[in-house]
Amino acid sequence: MKLCEFIRPESLAQARASLRKLGPKGMPLAGGTALHFMPGKTPVSAVDVTRLGLSYIRQKGNYFEIGAATPLSDIQRYRGPRWAMHEICRRISTHQIRNVSTIGGNICRVFPWADLPVVLLAMDAKMVIYSGKTKEMGADEYFSSQPARLFRGGDLLAAVKIPVLKAHHGFGSVKAARNAAAFSMVTIAALLELDGGVIKSARVAAGSAIPFPKRLRAVEAALVGKAPAAETFRAAASLANNDAKWCKQEGMSAEYVANLAEVSIVDALERAAEFARGRTA
Amino acid sequence: MKTHTCSVSFTLNGEKKTFATRPDEKLLDLLRREGYKGTKYGCGQGTCGACTVIMDGRAVYACLLYAMQAEGRKVRTIESMGTYDKPAPIQQELVAAGAVQCGYCIPGIIMSATALMEAEKDISDETAKEYMDGNLCRCTGYEKIWVALRKTLDRAAAEPKKKASAKGGKK
Amino acid sequence: MKRHELAKNLKQVNTSVTKIDAMQLALGKDSYVADFLPKDALVIKMLWSPHAHARIKKMDVSKAEKMPGVKCVLWHGNVPRIVHCTAGQGFPEPSPYDTFMFDNKVRFVGDRVAAVAAETEEQALAALEAIKVEYEVLKPVFTLDEAMAPGAPVIHDEPEAHVPIPIVYEPKKNLVAHVACEAGSFKKGMAEADFTFDEMYETPYAQHCPIEPYTSMAQMTPAGRILITTSTQVPFHCRRIVARTLGIPVQKIRVVKPRIGGGFGCKQEILLEDVTAMFALRTGRPCLWRFDREETFRTGRTRHPFRIRLRTGVKKDGTITAIGLECINNTGAYGGHGLTVVSCSGGKTLPLYHCDNILFDGKSYYTNLPVGGAYRGFGATQAFFAIESLMDHMAEAIGMDPMKFRQINHIRPGEGSPIFQALGEGREGLPMTVGSNALAECIVQGAEAAGWEGRQDWRKKTGRYRRGIGMCCLMQGSSIPDIDMGAATIKINEDGSFNLNVGATDLGTGSDTVLAQIAAEELETTTDKMIVYSSDTDMTPFDVGAYASSTTYLSGEAVRKAAADAKRQILATGAEMLGLKVEEVHCEDAHVLNADGSKKVSYSDIANYSLYQKNQYQIIGTASHITKKSPPPFAAHFAEVEVDTLTGFVKVLNYVSTIDCGTAVNPTLCEGQTEGGTLNGISYALTEQYLFDEKGKMQNASFADYHIYSMRDRPPIKAILVPSYEDTGPFGAKSVSEICINGPAPAIGNAIYNATGARLNEFPFTPEKVLAAIKAVKK
Repeated sequence: MKLCEFIRPESLAQARASLRKLGPKGMPLAGGTALHFMPGKTPVSAVDVTRLGLSYIRQKGNYFEIGAATPLSDIQRYRGPRWAMHEICRRISTHQIRNVSTIGGNICRVFPWADLPVVLLAMDAKMVIYSGKTKEMGADEYFSSQPARLFRGGDLLAAVKIPVLKAHHGFGSVKAARNAAAFSMVTIAALLELDGGVIKSARVAAGSAIPFPKRLRAVEAALVGKAPAAETFRAAASLANNDAKWCKQEGMSAEYVANLAEVSIVDALERAAEFARGRTA
Repeated sequence: MKTHTCSVSFTLNGEKKTFATRPDEKLLDLLRREGYKGTKYGCGQGTCGACTVIMDGRAVYACLLYAMQAEGRKVRTIESMGTYDKPAPIQQELVAAGAVQCGYCIPGIIMSATALMEAEKDISDETAKEYMDGNLCRCTGYEKIWVALRKTLDRAAAEPKKKASAKGGKK
Repeated sequence: MKRHELAKNLKQVNTSVTKIDAMQLALGKDSYVADFLPKDALVIKMLWSPHAHARIKKMDVSKAEKMPGVKCVLWHGNVPRIVHCTAGQGFPEPSPYDTFMFDNKVRFVGDRVAAVAAETEEQALAALEAIKVEYEVLKPVFTLDEAMAPGAPVIHDEPEAHVPIPIVYEPKKNLVAHVACEAGSFKKGMAEADFTFDEMYETPYAQHCPIEPYTSMAQMTPAGRILITTSTQVPFHCRRIVARTLGIPVQKIRVVKPRIGGGFGCKQEILLEDVTAMFALRTGRPCLWRFDREETFRTGRTRHPFRIRLRTGVKKDGTITAIGLECINNTGAYGGHGLTVVSCSGGKTLPLYHCDNILFDGKSYYTNLPVGGAYRGFGATQAFFAIESLMDHMAEAIGMDPMKFRQINHIRPGEGSPIFQALGEGREGLPMTVGSNALAECIVQGAEAAGWEGRQDWRKKTGRYRRGIGMCCLMQGSSIPDIDMGAATIKINEDGSFNLNVGATDLGTGSDTVLAQIAAEELETTTDKMIVYSSDTDMTPFDVGAYASSTTYLSGEAVRKAAADAKRQILATGAEMLGLKVEEVHCEDAHVLNADGSKKVSYSDIANYSLYQKNQYQIIGTASHITKKSPPPFAAHFAEVEVDTLTGFVKVLNYVSTIDCGTAVNPTLCEGQTEGGTLNGISYALTEQYLFDEKGKMQNASFADYHIYSMRDRPPIKAILVPSYEDTGPFGAKSVSEICINGPAPAIGNAIYNATGARLNEFPFTPEKVLAAIKAVKK
C-alpha cells in the first residue's frame, strides 16, 4: 500500500473526522504491519491512531478492557487474574512485530491466518466501536463477516473487552504452526463453562485453515451437558467438519489439515479443562 | 533527485533530529541514506531482524515502519551502542563467544538483546528467546549467540547497580 | 606424542583467537557492499519472467526509456549475445555455457527479461511496468520424468549451448550431464548378499538464505575501468566471467569483495555482476543491484533436488557386498554445477564404507524450475540422506545395532577407495588414501553425548508423543585436487606487523582469521600482527574462491608457504644483523635469535633494517598451492526427536554433531561452522521447502512462509571437535564447513523411525508425510 499523506489526529473525534472526509482514500494506521499485506497502488492517506491514548489494558469489573492500539507484546506481558490472552499473543509472529502490531490492527481487517479473532470469538469478547459515541458489539456479530465493513464511514475500533474468567471457566488456545513465528496452519480456541462436573456451555472457534474464523457450533453442542473428559472432547471434535471446510495449507492436503484441526480442538479443550481445574498461567 | 514532501522529527541516538522524508519512506531507508548504515536490509518483509532498531524502548523492524511513524519517538540504532574503545557488554560477549560469523544479523541481534535487558528483570531462557525470535541468523545456529546473550544477562543481573549507572551515563 | 596430539604445542593455530573482524561487524561499521553506496548511485531493477517457458516474440522498451529518472534499459536487443556459464568454477568450467546476459527466451519463473537503471527504486519499478513484452508461451517441463520423456520440450534449443570440456551434454534431450563408474562387479555383489535392498529417495529444493541478499555494485573508475564491489564467494571467477559476458578484457575490471553477509554456496555464482557492470559502462554512474528476499528465493540459486535409487546387498555378518547409487538431479533452467553436484553425490559419499562392488550413475537434467547451484554439502547432502537411511534399514535386517554396523564398515586411516579416482569434478579424480581419520572416535564420543546406550526399539514405545534417537556418519572433501589453486603474499612492516594478502574469500566463515593464524604460526609471531586483506582482483594474488571446503586446507597451505618464504628472508636478514650464519639462528616470539638466546633481534628491528638501513629490500613472501589430495573430514551425528503421533509434528530435542576436521585451526570458529551448518540441515530436514503453483512459480518466497529456524525454534546443538592430524594440510588441518549440513536429514529420519517405526524416504519431514508414514507402520 502506498502512502501519500500522513495525518496525526489528536483525538478519536479528529481521527474519525479525517477518515470520514478521506473516505476510501483514508486508512487508519497503527503498527502498520498489515499494510504490508495489502497490495494496491492507489495512494492513501494514513491516519495515525497510535497517539490517541488507545494503548492500555485495564481491568474494569467483569472485563479487561484493551485499548485498540495496544501492541500484542503488551498483551503478551500483561498479567491479570485468570488472564489467558498472553498464550496466543506469544505465538503471533516475532517479537518486533508484536511490539508494533496492535489488537485493533489484527481484528479491524481480518486476514485468513489471524489468530486473535479466533480467541476473541471463543472468549465472547465485545468490541467497542467509536462513531461519535461508543457502542459495543459482540464477537459473533462483529466477526460474522469481514469487520472492515464496520469502519467504512470513518468509525474506529476503540477497545476490546474481554470477560474476566470465573473459577468455573476454562480457556485454552492452540496454534499449530511449522515453527514459533510461522503463520498458523490451524488455530483453535475454546472456552468452557463448567457446572458441577459437567460442561454448562462451550464456545469453540477455529481459524486459519478455513476462509474466515468461525465458531464450531456442532462441536459446542456436543460438549454441553457432558463431563469434561477426553472421550467427550474427541467425540465433539469429530463433528468439526459440520461447520468448517478445511483448506490445504503449506502444501499439505485438506484431509491432513482436517485431522490436524480435530486433534487441535481436543488439545484446546484439554487445556481449557486444565485451566478450569486451576491452571492460571 | 529524490523528492521529499514532508519532514519527521525524532530523537536519534540521543540527539533531536529532523529529516526530510516522504509519507511512504520506510525508516530503514531514511536511516541508511542518512548514514546510519549499521542497520541492515535483509528481507524488507519484517521477518529477518537485520534492520532492528529500538523505538521508545522496544525493538522494531525499521524495514516495516514508515519513517513518519517515528515522529516524536526516541530511536536508537547500533551506532549508539558502543565503540572500539568501549563496546557494550553484549557486543563484547558476542565477539568473545565467536558469535559473529558473517555478522550481518549482529547489529539487529544487539538491538533486540538491548531492548530485552532494558525491559525485563530476572530474565528466564523462555523470555529471552521470545524477545529474540525475530532475528534470524543463518551462520551460527544461534549457539554462540545464545551463550553470549545468557552471559550478558547473567552478568547484568549480578551487577544491578553498575548497570544502572552505566545506563545513566549513556545517551 | 600421539598423532592427533601433534597440534598441541602450536601457539597460534589450534587456539580460539578472536575473529579479527568481529568487533567491526558488532559495532555496525560500514562493511558490506550496500554500505559503500555512493550518493549518486542508480538503482537497478529487473523485469522477471512470469512464465516458466516462453519465447519473447516482441518487446518494446521505448516507453520505459523515456520515463522520469530512467537512465538505461538493458534487454536482449541492446546487449551482446555471448554465451557463458554463471557458475563460479575453475576454467574451463565443467558446466554448460547456456546463459546470455539477456535472451529472447525465458526458462523459469524469475528468469531475466529486461533491466532498468534509474535514479530511484520507485522510478525503476515504474519503468519496468512500462516495458511491453509479448510472449509465446511454451510447454513447460516441471519434473524429471517430463524432462526425460521422449519428445519433451527442449529447454535449451539455442545453437550456442555447449560445454567447454569433453563431457556428455545433450541439450536436445534436456540432459545436462551423465557420469558413471563401477568398481568390482555390482551384479556379483548383489548375488553374494544375504539381503538386498532397492529403495527410492527424493530430496527437495532449498535456498541458502544468507541474511544479506545478493548485492552487487559497479562504478567506473577515473581511469576508465569498471570497479565491481560485490557480495561474492568467487571474485576472480567473477572478473573472468563478467569480462567474457561483456566482451571486454579482464584488465578492464577490478572486483572487490568487502565483508559478505553469508553465502553458503549461493554466491558462487555470477548472477548480478554482468548487469551492474554493463549499466556502469553504459551510464557512467555507480549502479547498485540488490535482490529483495523474494528475488533471492525465486531467481537466486538453490540446492539441486535429487531423485535417488539406492540398491545394496549385505551379508548377515554385516559385510556390505554391493552398493548401487543412481542419482538424478534437477538442475532447473540452467546447468551450472549440474555435473559436479551429481559427481560429488557419489564421490563424497561412496568411499565412506567398505564395499568391493560399487556402481554409480549420475545424471543431471534441465527443467523449467529455479536453478540449482552450489550449496554447502554439494550433492553429498542429498546422497547421504539415501545412504544413511538405508544403512539403518540394512542394520535392522541383519539384526545389528545401526551404530555397530557403521563401526565395522567405515573406512579406516590408510585405506583408499576406487571412487576417489573414478569420480572427480568434471574429469577423473586422483587416487587417494585417507590419512587422518578420527571417525571411530567421533562415533564413540557422539554416542556417549547423545545417550545412544539407552536407545530402545520403536516397538516398545507407546503413547502420543514418542521419542527416538537416530544417527549417521558422514564425510566430505577438502578442496578439488589438481584443479583448485590458492595464493598469498605476506610482507613485513616497520613495527613487525605483516600485510597478509590472500585471494581467498572470507564470506563470513572467519577464514581471514584462520589464515592469519596459520601465517602467524609459521612466522612465530602472534595473530594480532596480521593485517589481512582478501580477495581484491587488483591487489591480492589469485584464489579460486570460497567453495569446495577449500579455504583452510588449500589457501591455508598457500599462506603457510608464503609465510615460510617470508620467514626465510627474516632469518637471513636477522642472521646478517646478528653477524651469524643462517643455520645458527631460528625464529621465536617475533624475534630471530641464536640457539641459547643470548643474541637476538626483533622482527621490528629486522623490518627497519631491511627497509631503511642496509642492503634494503622488501621482505615479502609469496606462494601458490594446489593439492594432490582432498582429505575428507569425517563426522558422526546423533539426533533425538519427539514425534507427535497424532499430528506428525516432529521436534528435535537434542542434536550432537561431532567432527574430525584435523587440527581445528580455530576451535571456536570450527564449532561455529558445525553448529550453524547443523541447524541449517535441521530446518532443511523439517520445515524448508519450495512450494510451486501449477505455472511453476514459487509460492512461499519469504521468510514468513519458507521456514528457517529462529532462536526460539533451535534445539540445543552440541558440537564436538575430535582431533586428528592431516599431514598434507596446514598444521594438520582439513576442511570443516560443509560436512555438518549433510547429517540432520538422515539422522532425524532415523530418529523418527526409532521413535515410531515410520520410515520416510522423502523430506522435508512435513507433519503430513510423517503422519502418513506412521499410519502405514505395520507392527
